[in-house]
Order: sequence, then structure tokens, then C-alpha cells
Amino acid sequence: MTTAWTEENLNNDDVRVVEVSVEPGVYERGHIPGAAHVRWHTDLVDTVRRDIVSREEFEALASRLGITPETTVLLYGDKNNWFAAWAAWVFTLYGHDDVRLIDGGRGKWEAEGRPLSQRPFRARPTEYEVTEVREELRAALPEVVAVAEGDREGQLVDIRSSDEYSGRIIAPAGVAELAVRAGHVPGAVNVPWGRAVDPETGTFLPEEELRALYAAEGIDGSEPVITYCRIGERSSHTWFALHHLLGYDVANYDGSWTEYGNSVGVPIENPSGSVWTGQ
Amino acid sequence: MIQGGGSPGGCRGPVPVVSALRRPVFLPVTPRSSSSRQRWVALLPVAALAAGALWLSGPSAPAIPDALFVLAMGTALGVVLQRSRFCFFCMLRDYFEERDGRGLLGILAALAVGSLGYLVIFGAWLPDPSGRYLPAGAHIGPVSWVLAAGGLLFGWGMALSGSCISAHLYRLGEGSVLAPVALLGTVAGFGLGFLLWNRLYLLALHDAPTVWLPDHLGYGGSLGLQFLVLAGLFFLVRRRRPGLEATVDPGTSPAGDSLFHRVFLRRWSAWVGGIAVGWIGTMLYLRVEPLGVTAQVGSLARRATDAAGLLPERLNGLDGFPGCATAVGESLLRANGLLVVGLVGGAFVASLLAGQFQPERKHPLAFAAALLGGVLLGLGAMLSLGCTVGTLLSGISAFALSGWIFAASMTLGVATGLALRRRLFFWD
Repeated sequence: MTTAWTEENLNNDDVRVVEVSVEPGVYERGHIPGAAHVRWHTDLVDTVRRDIVSREEFEALASRLGITPETTVLLYGDKNNWFAAWAAWVFTLYGHDDVRLIDGGRGKWEAEGRPLSQRPFRARPTEYEVTEVREELRAALPEVVAVAEGDREGQLVDIRSSDEYSGRIIAPAGVAELAVRAGHVPGAVNVPWGRAVDPETGTFLPEEELRALYAAEGIDGSEPVITYCRIGERSSHTWFALHHLLGYDVANYDGSWTEYGNSVGVPIENPSGSVWTGQ
Repeated sequence: MIQGGGSPGGCRGPVPVVSALRRPVFLPVTPRSSSSRQRWVALLPVAALAAGALWLSGPSAPAIPDALFVLAMGTALGVVLQRSRFCFFCMLRDYFEERDGRGLLGILAALAVGSLGYLVIFGAWLPDPSGRYLPAGAHIGPVSWVLAAGGLLFGWGMALSGSCISAHLYRLGEGSVLAPVALLGTVAGFGLGFLLWNRLYLLALHDAPTVWLPDHLGYGGSLGLQFLVLAGLFFLVRRRRPGLEATVDPGTSPAGDSLFHRVFLRRWSAWVGGIAVGWIGTMLYLRVEPLGVTAQVGSLARRATDAAGLLPERLNGLDGFPGCATAVGESLLRANGLLVVGLVGGAFVASLLAGQFQPERKHPLAFAAALLGGVLLGLGAMLSLGCTVGTLLSGISAFALSGWIFAASMTLGVATGLALRRRLFFWD
């Protein structure tokens, strides 16, 4: 949805605006008026196991947000909506279909000088119940390996930078979570997430351009797609484009390279030939 | 007749004396010509700050959110600290050596205003304090013996170097010759802290509890408890040495004094400064991040130790703790750096206007003491994730137990350090 549409619908009871920013304090110091706050680090993931939030915790979260299965959940956040897209994936996974992103996210809203508020979010809690879990939207390691080895139909999209894809580096500078092998899953095509957006505004490209972008890499929706990145959050952004905007059959592999590149005995392509620890 | 002395910004400060006519006179009385010349020189830092502000609003500005606001707040802070002589060490020393608690009232005022301000913000940001969240970014640190040790070292550093980090910063603006040496030592002390960090993390910090009072007492209970403690401290420090009443509070001006004199020449009462500091701290937390003065210094030290190849590959857990964060970002300059630049600039302007920009000759050993004290300040601030501003003021304002622990151990450090200072500092 556009920022303009959002502003017009701030008082629409059928729409719940939710901010998912990864930078602490961003929401508190000014959010879209009436927006609720979801913390990626604690609300959307299991804090002990490496997993998404449990079904019960998701129900509690959705109830706290005061949403019903009919509510349009309108998500936005910092960092080009990466974590908002993760939230969109989790909401869709737990069967909440009417979930959208504010195109361009927080950055565009601020750049357009639209109003921000510091008022706390208040809503009457609901009793949200998850009726179906769409497991097919989530890919696990065995499925990814099966696709890589040609035992399963599917295409892989690696949305990391070309240096990560080619194995020149294991991860961007400054991140703590690494893998002990560099490269990519065999057969994956490299479409960095940023190519799906307008570099100026951060909004998704028009549908036809998006379709052409992925078609040029052989991703046209004729086969199931799996997206991945390093920890699975930027790939949610591409997952959102392919699933919600283009309507393709696509799963997000949230284990991503920090699982795959650490796994023993899985096939890897490493075009750069770099050797771990450089020996 | 004329008593007191020391530099105007030094610990003794401009001391009011009672003249034969029982009319209060404020020292130092600088020759009018030199002070009015200094006043014109104040245009230079004002122009520099204005140029900085222009640069920050231009196209080549660094990507720091609310940069202009931070610079303005830093400048205001520098003026307030200089005008009210807001020096934690001097305040404690006045109390311990002269039984004069007027300075400490400034700290109590800052904490009272800060607590109220933070309470207003917390109520909006985190209506329910008993959940699993802590208020974003607030300086609520882990409580362990490392924090207490950090406070003690910091207190000793204050006694040796003559002030805390924030006061050294405003003294830079007063032309202090010791402040640059002490601040150099502070950078080294931070480096030392980084080298010790991983060991201390495994020894004590990894399982140290983070105690946030509202989590246990609610907002009302926490405010009540803190105000009770502040009131107790107020009654403790308001007891004065007999005879002190005869001297005039440095903040009071003779009747008929012009507004310009009151604001720019006379020293402000510490409690006036305290109210302003508490307010500035609240505004900064609301808009940008909690008030602190060591994040930029610390990240520079971290960058330097890393460049020298001394830093371990990973500083366990350090960047996960709330406090004056030293994480090295992409750009050298961060919001905290702008705050410090504003602070020094504001203090410079204020001291020039008051004719208090007075570099002094110091005993060579005073430099050595400032350097060593600076190292202890840096080490203490690194281990405590902040100093008297970031951990004490912003911590207690945020109802963090860590702020109180630091305050107590730092005070103990100053008290014992003062005794040492009296014995060793023959030149003072």
C-alpha cells in the first residue's frame, strides 16, 4: 500500500498499522499515528530455540494487537521493511492472509514529511485464533538440499550480495553470525533484494518490471521457488514480492546461509574458491 | 581580604567574600578591559558552532539523525555546566572538606528532574513496566562487582585528575591545561578496559542481573522510593559547617545586578544547573538517546586499540548491554561526538563571556596526576558502561539500580581518593 493510502486510512478500524523496526527506540521516538509496535527480536522469534514465534505466542501477540482474522494488517519498518517483511511472512504462515506492507517503509514516510506520533498504542485485545498453519511457505534444510541435488522440483533465489553469493566473503562486515563455508546453494540464482526496489524511494518496482526482473533469471512462477539470505530476514522481502505481489508459489528458507553454510555434507558451490580461515 | 583563588573554573571557583562594607564581592575580579576583550573573542566559537550547524543542515552532513538538535543540546549543556560549575568532584570535595553541600544539591536536583522527565517518557513508551521489555535504549546496566569496582576506580580517577569526564570536557572550554592530559588518559583507560573486558565478562558480567526498579515496584513505587532517597540525601547534605551561612551562595547576585551580569558573569547556583541538566537529559532521551559523554571517546579508543591490533576479535556481550555504547560504526563521528563538540564549544563561549578563560601554569607533577587519573576515569567508565553522566545521571533518571551502585562506589572512591590527594599533592 502507498504511504498516501495509509495516511487516509489511519482511522479505518479494519486496518491495523504495525511497525516492525529492528533499531531499538525508533518506534518509541515517533511512529505512524495509531501504529502498534512489534519487536522482531522477542515478539516474532523464539528467544531460546532458533525458530519463529510459537503458535500460542503468535496468538497472544495478535490478540494484544487487537486484530481479528478480518483485519487488514499493514506493516512497515526501518531498513527498507526487511523486518516488517519478516513479520508479513510470519503472519501469512499463521494463516493471516490480509497482510500488506507500506511501500517504501518508514524511510519513505519520513522522507515525505508525514506526521509521526509518540502516543502509546492502545487497543481492545481480541481473542485471536490461528486456524491453519501454512507450512508450505517455509522451507527447511532437507527440502533445500533436495532441490540442490535435483531430487525435488524447485528453484532457489539467493538474495544476498554478489560477493556473498560468489564466496568472496562469508558475510557483510560487522555481522556476528557467520558460516564456516562460503558460497551458495548449488543451482541458486543471485538476485540481490535491492534490485526489486526503486533505489530512490525504496518502493517495490511495478509488477511488470518485477516479473521481468525475475524472469530474466529464469524465475517465472512455473516452478516452486525458495528464497534465502543469511538469516532469512532480507529474503522475506523478496519472498513478499514473489508471493504477495506476483502470486508465485514461494517458500522462505529462514535457516538460510547461517544454517546451510554450517551444515556438514551438503553440496555447495563456491565459484571464488576461497578457503575458510584462509589456510 | 581576598581569599579563595585557583582558576575560575577550578574546584575552588570564584569564591564570594564579604567586604568591609558587608557587600558581597565575587572573585575573581578580572580587569574589565581583559574580560570585555574576551567577550568579543566569544564570537569566534559562536561562529564556529554556527558554521557547524550550517554544515549539519547542508547536503554533505553526516547521516546522524537529529544532528542539529544534538549539537544545540550539547551547546546548552556546555553553557550550563560552565556557568553552574557542575563538577561532580568539586561538589563532593566541597562537601567532604568544607561541609558545604550546596554543590551536591545540584546533582540531587538533576536526578529529581531527570526521574520525573523519564517517568513521563516511560509512561508513554512502555505503559506496562512489568512485562518482558526494558524501555528502549535507557541506561539500565548489569549490576555486579565489576560495576562497583568501575565506580571506585572512577572516583579515584576524579580525585587524582581533579574532575570527572564531563567536567574535564567543559574545562577544555575554559582553557584548562590539565583537562587535555586527563582526557588523553581517559582514552588510554578505555583501551585498558577493552583489554580486560572478556575476562570480566566471563567472571561476572554474563550473569549479572539487570535491575530496573519499575519492574519490581511499578512506576509510582519507583518514583516514590527514589524521591525518598533523594530527600534523605538532601537532609544529609544541607547540614552545613557552622559559619558557612556567613558566606553568600555563589548563585545570589547583589540587588540591582543587570540580567547580563546574572546570566553571563555570576556563577549560577548548582541547583539551577542541576534542573537544567535534568531537563536536557530528558529531552535528549526523548529525541535521540540518553545523555552521556563517553560513547564517542570510547568508540575512538576502541577504534584505536583495534587498529593497533590489541583488541580481541570479539568483545563478548559488550554491545548488547545498554549504556554508553562504544560499538564502532561506519563513520567516525556519531551523535555523541556532536554532543561533546557542542559541550566544549558552549563552555568555551560561556567562559569567554564571563572572562573565565584562563589557562594556568601547573606543577609538572599535576600533569602526571591528571594523566594517571584520566586512565582511571577511562577504565572506570569502560567497566561501568558510562560515567557520572551516562551511568549515574541517565541511569538513576531511568530508575536503574546500576546508577545508584555507581553513585555509591564513585562517592567512596572520591572520599578515599581525597585523603590520598591531601597527602600526596604537595603542590596543590
